[in-house]
Amino acid sequence: MSGALFIGVDVGSSATKCVILDQAGALKGHHVVASGFKYSDAVDTAITQSLLDAKGRKEDIAYCVSTGYGRKHVSCSDRVVTEISTHARGARAWNPAVRTIIDIGGQDTKIICIDDHGQLLDYRMNAKCAAGTGTFLESIAVKLGMTLAALDKLAMQSTDPTVVNSYCTVFAGTEVIERIKAGQAPEDIAMGLFRSIATRIKEMIPGRSGAFGATGGVVQHCQAMILTLEETLGGEILKAPMPQHAGAYGAALLALESHAKKGSEVDHAPTG
Amino acid sequence: MSTIAKRVPINARKKLQSLMREYFVSLDAAAADSDRRVAWCTSVGPCEILSAMGYEVYFPENHGALLGARKISHECIPAAVGVGYCAESCSYMTSDIGAALSGISPLTEAFGIAGPPKPDLLSYSTNQCREVQDWWNFFGRRHDAPVMGIRPPSHLGQVTDAHVAFVRGELNQLITRIESHSGTKLDWSRLETVVDLSSRASSLWRQVLDLAQAQPSPITFFDGLIHMAPVILMRGSQEAIDYYDMLLAEMNERVEEGTAAVPNERFRVYWDGMPVWPKVRELSEKFFDLGVSIAASTYCNSWAFEEYDGGDPLEWMARTSTEIFINRDETFKQQFLLDMCKRFSIDGLIFHNARTCPNNTNSRFGMAQRLRDEAGMPVLVFDGDLSDSRFFSTAQTMTNIEAFVEQLEGCCQ
Ligand code: SF4
Repeated sequence: MSGALFIGVDVGSSATKCVILDQAGALKGHHVVASGFKYSDAVDTAITQSLLDAKGRKEDIAYCVSTGYGRKHVSCSDRVVTEISTHARGARAWNPAVRTIIDIGGQDTKIICIDDHGQLLDYRMNAKCAAGTGTFLESIAVKLGMTLAALDKLAMQSTDPTVVNSYCTVFAGTEVIERIKAGQAPEDIAMGLFRSIATRIKEMIPGRSGAFGATGGVVQHCQAMILTLEETLGGEILKAPMPQHAGAYGAALLALESHAKKGSEVDHAPTG
Repeated sequence: MSTIAKRVPINARKKLQSLMREYFVSLDAAAADSDRRVAWCTSVGPCEILSAMGYEVYFPENHGALLGARKISHECIPAAVGVGYCAESCSYMTSDIGAALSGISPLTEAFGIAGPPKPDLLSYSTNQCREVQDWWNFFGRRHDAPVMGIRPPSHLGQVTDAHVAFVRGELNQLITRIESHSGTKLDWSRLETVVDLSSRASSLWRQVLDLAQAQPSPITFFDGLIHMAPVILMRGSQEAIDYYDMLLAEMNERVEEGTAAVPNERFRVYWDGMPVWPKVRELSEKFFDLGVSIAASTYCNSWAFEEYDGGDPLEWMARTSTEIFINRDETFKQQFLLDMCKRFSIDGLIFHNARTCPNNTNSRFGMAQRLRDEAGMPVLVFDGDLSDSRFFSTAQTMTNIEAFVEQLEGCCQ
């Protein structure tokens, strides 16, 4: 028995993440699983495995906040919050200096700006197409016959990144083939791909104020992404402690707060 | 959030349905009758002149909107693209042209008529955009009918007497051209009557929209999209006036009784830009469920003109059609939006970036950011389109809207 647990479940288009906190807000467990075709299965697995990690039981769950693309598919959710707000909430906890969060997910890339109190100021999502997202990198990695991790490793050896201009994943793929044919170094082409994402991100940022923080699966797995973001945006990028779990972590924090608020509402409920 | 609260339907809608049917059936009959004449006109074009000269007036933009609302635009657009109309240009135009090429019309199912009435002439004003000119030209060629337009000065800050005089001159020339084509002289007293009727309908419509200043609001943008039809299609008729008299009375009653368009109204939001016709229902339900009332919009106000107080009817037409929001510069538009937000006690602003209508999209030159700073309220810009649903991502937009409401709630604080 581990006491009351507070869970955040982030059902993304590619991966489902779960984070469990205890009453004091300490991290007790977490898990990530591919979202697959059936969100409910992914959610079950993510929660069950996180509970194992936390040495807790389902009955210990005091409050659950779900978030992400499939946020409405979490049957045990007490509250549904968008990934924009959960990322904002999470960032304030993992580094209070962060004012602009760059979240590079599978399906979309988000820029989330918060004020000194953690309140949302502005947010942007990339427009529909895969360019500038994890899917963009994955699809080109597949075309090149390698994994995302291998693409990252290759990019880190680059000395002179090439420029990939296209806004469209398909056209960018064609550009890569042209660069290969032109004899450009594979590592420079690989870094060029990361740089093209960084350039798209730069276009989405409304203006600099405070520190940049980065989250999301691509940030978790690709060192090259942080490096090129720092070059493109001209400054340090603070990487979230568990980049891929940042949304679930924010959701778990909101679960803790929502539960406390619910408790205080009950405490003050009229009795007569 | 649960949808426990129920919508209170607007009773006038029944009357609206019969009015619309009469309007389209009459147009259809006019097109088939060699003694009657049909003119096509842009939505803020010189329709009063056409009516006064005995034409029955049809508005193709309405057909574009219907194609979108009935979710058939995407079936029509490829045919227009195939004959050289860019898929990124006005989707009212591409869907309307494509519908004609494919023999599709939502008017068949809705009103039992074959489709848009064949025009005897087509008339436009570029006070809204230059696209209408090429759209009309397509149908002019197709129906072998003359296309006669006016081109007022655009992107104006102040509308000066010189601007009005210029447009008045253009309208005068238009009258001469129509007279020579039709062989009928304009009866100026008839024009005065039509302009008076037009202005009265418009004024009543404005009063209806202004009642949304009440809290809770008795009517939203989504209701407005339905009930604005007569002020566009039947402008200049007694029927439009009677309709808005009835709607205004119902809205006044709602305000007195505190009947809300969105029960439990938590936030009041302004909508700038075009509607997303194929997604109107989903969006309306989403805002309803979130307790958000879209209390005011640029779009519904586009047909709320200054009143006509007698005098030169042509001058009134020149002034009102030049003064419209879409024809103004960024500074004017920004101030207009700020004033509207104040008047309607708005908590947040939404800009629809309609991908195929840059003319009626106001978030492309930094206005959203400037307004957020100046009005100090949350502003959301989302990508979509008026008719082409391929430019719209439901999941992404709904997330954006929910996050916007979370921002209004101060969720992360
Ligand atoms: S204003 Fe926009 S939607 Fe209307 S006709 Fe012009 S381009 Fe099309």
